[in-house]
Amino acid sequence: MNRTMLNTKTALTPSLIVIVGFLTVCPVFMLVFGSFSEGLGAFGSFTLEKYIRSYTDPAFAGIIINTVIFTIGSAFVATVLALFLAYLNTRTNIPFKFLFRIISIIPMMIPHILFSVSWVLLLNPSNGMINLFLREILSLQGSPFNIYTLPGMILVEGLLDMPIAYLILAPAMAAFDVSFEESSKVCGASNLRTLTKVTLPVLRPAILASFILVIVRSLASFAVPSIIGMPGRIYVLATHIYQIIATGFAADYGMAAAVGMSALAASITLIYLYRYLTSESEKYVTISSRGYRPSLIDLKKAKYPLFGIVGILSFVLIVLPVVVLFYTSLVPYSMVPGAKAFSMMSWKNWVEVLRDPISLLSLKNSVFLGIVGASLGVILSIFVSYVIVKVRTRASGVLESLSFLSFSFPGIVVGVGFMWFFVQTPLYATIWSLLIGYIATYLPYGIRPLSSAFVQIHSHLEESSRVCGGGTLYTLRRIIIPLLIPGVVSGWILMATMFVRELTLSVVLSRPGTEVLAVQIFHFAEDGLWGKLSALGIMMIFISTTLVVIASLIGAKLTKVENG
Amino acid sequence: MKKFMILLLIVFMAPYAYSADQALAEKAKAEGKVSFYANITAIQPIMQEFTKNKGVKGEYTRISTSKFLATVLTEHQAGKLLADVLQAPLPIMEFLKNKGVLASYQSPSAAGYPDWTKKDDKIQIFGIEYVALIYNKELVKPEDVPKRYEDLIDPKWLGKIVMANPSSHATTISWLIGLKENVFTSEETWMKFVKGLAANKPMFVRSFGPTPAPVESGEKLIAISMPKYIITKAPAPLDWARVEQPLLGTPRGIAVTAAAKHPNAAKLFVDYWLSRDAMQMLADKVGEYVLRPGVYPPIDGMDKAKVLPIRSLSDDEIRSWGGEFKKIFDMP
Repeated sequence: MNRTMLNTKTALTPSLIVIVGFLTVCPVFMLVFGSFSEGLGAFGSFTLEKYIRSYTDPAFAGIIINTVIFTIGSAFVATVLALFLAYLNTRTNIPFKFLFRIISIIPMMIPHILFSVSWVLLLNPSNGMINLFLREILSLQGSPFNIYTLPGMILVEGLLDMPIAYLILAPAMAAFDVSFEESSKVCGASNLRTLTKVTLPVLRPAILASFILVIVRSLASFAVPSIIGMPGRIYVLATHIYQIIATGFAADYGMAAAVGMSALAASITLIYLYRYLTSESEKYVTISSRGYRPSLIDLKKAKYPLFGIVGILSFVLIVLPVVVLFYTSLVPYSMVPGAKAFSMMSWKNWVEVLRDPISLLSLKNSVFLGIVGASLGVILSIFVSYVIVKVRTRASGVLESLSFLSFSFPGIVVGVGFMWFFVQTPLYATIWSLLIGYIATYLPYGIRPLSSAFVQIHSHLEESSRVCGGGTLYTLRRIIIPLLIPGVVSGWILMATMFVRELTLSVVLSRPGTEVLAVQIFHFAEDGLWGKLSALGIMMIFISTTLVVIASLIGAKLTKVENG
Repeated sequence: MKKFMILLLIVFMAPYAYSADQALAEKAKAEGKVSFYANITAIQPIMQEFTKNKGVKGEYTRISTSKFLATVLTEHQAGKLLADVLQAPLPIMEFLKNKGVLASYQSPSAAGYPDWTKKDDKIQIFGIEYVALIYNKELVKPEDVPKRYEDLIDPKWLGKIVMANPSSHATTISWLIGLKENVFTSEETWMKFVKGLAANKPMFVRSFGPTPAPVESGEKLIAISMPKYIITKAPAPLDWARVEQPLLGTPRGIAVTAAAKHPNAAKLFVDYWLSRDAMQMLADKVGEYVLRPGVYPPIDGMDKAKVLPIRSLSDDEIRSWGGEFKKIFDMP
């Protein structure tokens, strides 16, 4: 290894730590200050009272138990579903593969409030449509399902977070060195045995990454806990924090931050655990310099039954919520479908939204933030993941934890952290504060898929390039980036769709002129205007879909060029 | 003779008053715009009318009640308060007044308002965020509609009520306390009501916003909610129970900020906001209960209703009652 090589590498880590640190540490620092300050602002005289008060609350233990069940349950549902879909899609000859990409991404684009509300309309115990239907055909007295329970919350959160898991697992699965599986089969193992003994263990880093990311995400999630948990009187950390903020008129965000610190501690522990579990990263390298082309497994008789399962999943994940959404956008108020509802349908909500100048401005701003934000975010993520996976010093561990800092804080709190920070800068109340806030908070969406892609690239490839005289940038550009394209596309999609529907930061940071879609949707929700909300929600899904299609096409084209 | 003197005085002073108005309008125009922070539905028509009539751009920033204080105080402390005019529930306005955020201004438009709405020279109260029992008029028979608040504890409402969470939602907590202090004759009868309500196992949502939807769809039959939804959610089958007792609500106040970048435009805006035109729009389009005499929301029977303001509860009081209600309503 030559000297300039070493220098660029050593300079890369600290400069990234500075950039990522600046992005994520500032708001969190403000929150730390706030949690130790008397009064309501970020700066006040020192006190421990907020910590004492929040952690001696007798209800706190129960909330932690609910939170653990909720987050692990959601991570389990999301990862298992994603694994199933990614495996069928990348490794088997299942028909209609295009469906998979759609299923895996649609839930990313549906505002979580709406997705939760559609499930309440389907499964609430009083007049949920599925319950009414089952009561009718099975002549039951009570309702068979109640959405307002922990399993109900886990189901909906798991479905919502499934795309995160899928977009991490699918690239890893696609980049899989098939010779492992071939060796297994040569030794006489069945497909199933190969799957459990070879494929899944090799994918361990990606599976863990997805599991951990979903846990961290569901820890910060608010839509499901508030729409499904609160009516069922089930409280998790995010709703507990909301209670602290909402009780009384003078919301104490410092105390909320004090509670949020436990979420932060949990996330950082998980990240270190993840690093520890995947510390022998060499074990998982699957693309070396040999030719790589994942082979397809013939599903034979299982083909159509398996496809049936996928069909049901896509129905539940896409058709149902989108139909409910579309239906809601056409009726004048929340009503159970029937002759009356159909007679009252009109485009009124659509017309009103399209005539509303603020809704139109918010469409424009969100598209800008989606495209520009995701592009900048992915570029930063490539560098950060490279350092995290390939440099693997103590400093790169620091970098990895930093990237998770604002992500792992419950959203309502981190938004205020950013406000406390940005108000000290000239960026306050500009669209750039939203852009920076988004990238800082959702950096893991770029880093996760990219690191699981990096993990699979053997250092032999880089070394060969260097032996042939290629510098770091050259190696990065010619060898690594092409192999990373599936990860880049996944990261871009995760970020862009997230930014288009981002609510928690936006609701604190957006101002006249910088309105964004989700805030407009949130205001419709606060006023209970579900029709307008659904109309704007569908426009949002349309925008995200367009972005995803463009990204996927570009990705497909680039991969083809590099392979050919 | 006395009348004549007054008349003479009015005729004599009118040009001065007019020119004072004129001067304010001119200065406001020179400032160009006014920034207004509030959390109130669908007031774009008022902002547009103001912009059109006064030639000053009205810019509305909507900030949720739970973030209102945090946002305004953060900006104020950093010397970057962007708002010229603030509007919020009275307890928040009083908190801001104590922090020195508000300026003194007594609007000439407030002349016809009741005396209790201008207790100090900074905050002008203009409306009451009124709460009522809102029911589904297609699913609840007329004879079943509550005639008194106490009727809500009848076991026939078991599992059929939706309300904002009484352990945390400040307005609902204040409303329950308002009932104790203004409506019920004794603490015992009130407590019986609260416990009876709890025994009917209401479904809790986080604020008033999500209360009407379950009633519209028939998931629940009755809500402790706001009559303004009858207007904003029309043609939903919602109606309000015309109880014999008064309706209660939190007063809403408006004020100019001390650090306003557009102080004259701010005054002009408050004048306009309190005028009959703007208040009529607020009542008609949003269904708000306003305190300008003679202006009522177009909700059947609301012009005859007695609507009382709830006193401002301190946050400590709200938290401690929230804790009590948590126990009574048996929440984990």
